[in-house]
Amino acid sequence: MRNSFKVGKWELKRNLKSKSFLISLFLTPLIFIFFATVPSLLMSDDEGSDATTVYVNDSIGAYSLVESVVNQQDFLNWNVTETDDSLEDVRGTLQEEGNAAFVALNEATLENGVVNYATGSDIGGNFPAQIQALEQPIKQLQIQQADLTEEQANLVATPVQFQMADQPSSSDVTSNSPAGFAEDPFKNGIPAMFGGIVLFSIVITGMMIFQSASQEKKEKVAEIILSSVTPAELMQGKIIGYFGLGLFQVTVWMVFIIPLSVYLVDDIPIIDYLLTPQLLLFVLIAILGYLLFASLFVGLGATLEDANSSSNFQGMVMMLPFLPVVLIGPVLSDPTGLAAQVGTYIPFTSPAILMMRLAIIDEWPWMDIIIGLAILIVSIWVCMKLAGKIFKIGILIYGKNATPQEILKWLRA
Amino acid sequence: MEQVLSVKQLQKSFKDTQVLHDITFDVHKGEIMAVLGPNGAGKSTTIRNIMGIMYPDGGEVVFHNHHGDTIPRHKIGYLPEERGLYKNVKVMDILLYFAELKDYPLDRAKERALDYLKRFDLEGKENVSVEELSKGMGQKVQFIGSIIHEPELLILDEPFSGLDPVSQDVFKREIKKLADNGTAILLSSHQMNLVEEMCDRLFLMNKGQQVIYGAMKDVKAEYANFKCTIYGDNDVATLEAIQDVTRVEQDGSTSVLYLDRDVTLPGWLSNIPGDLDVQEIFVDRISLHEIFVDVALGRSIAAKEGVLDAE
Repeated sequence: MRNSFKVGKWELKRNLKSKSFLISLFLTPLIFIFFATVPSLLMSDDEGSDATTVYVNDSIGAYSLVESVVNQQDFLNWNVTETDDSLEDVRGTLQEEGNAAFVALNEATLENGVVNYATGSDIGGNFPAQIQALEQPIKQLQIQQADLTEEQANLVATPVQFQMADQPSSSDVTSNSPAGFAEDPFKNGIPAMFGGIVLFSIVITGMMIFQSASQEKKEKVAEIILSSVTPAELMQGKIIGYFGLGLFQVTVWMVFIIPLSVYLVDDIPIIDYLLTPQLLLFVLIAILGYLLFASLFVGLGATLEDANSSSNFQGMVMMLPFLPVVLIGPVLSDPTGLAAQVGTYIPFTSPAILMMRLAIIDEWPWMDIIIGLAILIVSIWVCMKLAGKIFKIGILIYGKNATPQEILKWLRA
Repeated sequence: MEQVLSVKQLQKSFKDTQVLHDITFDVHKGEIMAVLGPNGAGKSTTIRNIMGIMYPDGGEVVFHNHHGDTIPRHKIGYLPEERGLYKNVKVMDILLYFAELKDYPLDRAKERALDYLKRFDLEGKENVSVEELSKGMGQKVQFIGSIIHEPELLILDEPFSGLDPVSQDVFKREIKKLADNGTAILLSSHQMNLVEEMCDRLFLMNKGQQVIYGAMKDVKAEYANFKCTIYGDNDVATLEAIQDVTRVEQDGSTSVLYLDRDVTLPGWLSNIPGDLDVQEIFVDRISLHEIFVDVALGRSIAAKEGVLDAE
């Protein structure tokens, strides 16, 4: 075991000193940040440049309501101005300014619910949709005008909800989200996202294990190393080393991502959501996922000298971590359904699928979690054993890639 | 002499082919022992079995008094035939890694590394990345890596392959120096001339079997008979008729006469027929190289000479 740690330390140090690792280490979060911020920057630039001037002729005292709606709704990029002019008076101004509109709120509006408006020639195409936002304050005024009791007013104002009959607990839940989904998407979602990033990072470094094992063959260092350590120690050392590397990578990413997301999303207490017991389970799942793929890749790497000439067989194994992508759709639409359950029980998909499910389900299916994790742990053990056998023989075979038949033979040996 | 390593009746098969048959030899403290043989003779397989990289089907490997798995591998240095270095690391880093794997104190390793880099004419290269080294430089670094931890036994598989003559001499000098300081050295090679100069004992094998085993001077005395090379136009039959000539090889006007083992040169020379066409003549011993080629081609010198089998 001590030798494994020496190998692990070496692999870690070697990568930390390599330029390509360092570049990708810092580039990845920068790309994240780029995609997280640039589109919204572009969008806000777009809106800021041509805010629509909206002249409101208000004779029913709705202006303050309109103003507060406009301030609340970010997508309404309006400059609201109260005016006493009639439509005929402002027509000239509208033509002149182009991106401007006139809205008349008067008795007729309250009585028959029709709002007359006029726009300039240069108005945005989504103005008719934006103006729908005024429906709610007008409705409110209408209800006030109708002299209803408070009870009646509430009734009218409440939108109709549809609830499933066999969900007794939801009667005291005021949410109108679909049954089965979490009430608070952030409670499990944020730890899950963290776990997901951990999994992503260490699966990426897990793939580096593959390169490292195949490099060991290509650079013919394996035999020198094996004169000091056993093949099992070398393999474990690699797994430990790249695990450390993955964690280091996650830590660096988090240093970028956490402050940034706290800065960008200021109405959600991200840190409070993150530091919960749930996080431990997500991190455990991520680590188990890593161990599975790491053992798979380290064995595979030992069969290949040149990754470019790998056969279809090896290519298929490389694709295994991406298998859960196929199941994303079905799992998201029904996180307790059959597809989700099957995905939980297949070791190669279970880490990602479990995380996805646990993130969106409110009532965690403990039975599924336990069975899924048990299968995962057994598979890790089996994969490690098999990888050990392949690694022991494969790492010393020079000059050619192993065929699936040969690999099968080693496994039987 | 103190026995450091002994290999006893080593057997190994790949699939159905037996590649090692009862390989038995010892390596002593402070000596250079050579395992020789043509390609595919089983040299590397023997060495890999000693190093515990492969496991023998039969027989055993004893290092001091340790058997098999209990052999303290940090006391052995190994330079494999298939060797390389990690590309994107510094020379010193990889040397220290090798030392660390052998549990050798790092500060001493560093000192030794610098010292050896200097001796191998690589002074100042310790912070150079391995990928910038030439092939020969790389081999020197690998050699340093195999001795960085002051091993008691050093196993070198084809240490001279791919080296230029100057580097070969440096390697020879350092290997000899290590042996003089008490390191037991086992090396395999197919470059006979180098081995002949530096080895104390040799083990010649072919097709997984022992062919010749013994001290270099005994082997030479026993196998390396005199041979006489004559330039001049002569008839093979005439040459073969000369006393004590066992075999004649003729190529154009060059004839090589292989002589009997107990021949005494002055007497034999005075018996050369006077009518031979002799432009040039010289007498020397059959070199290890020739013994080796004979073995490789399956012509047993012993059988040909006819004498040795009887003894």
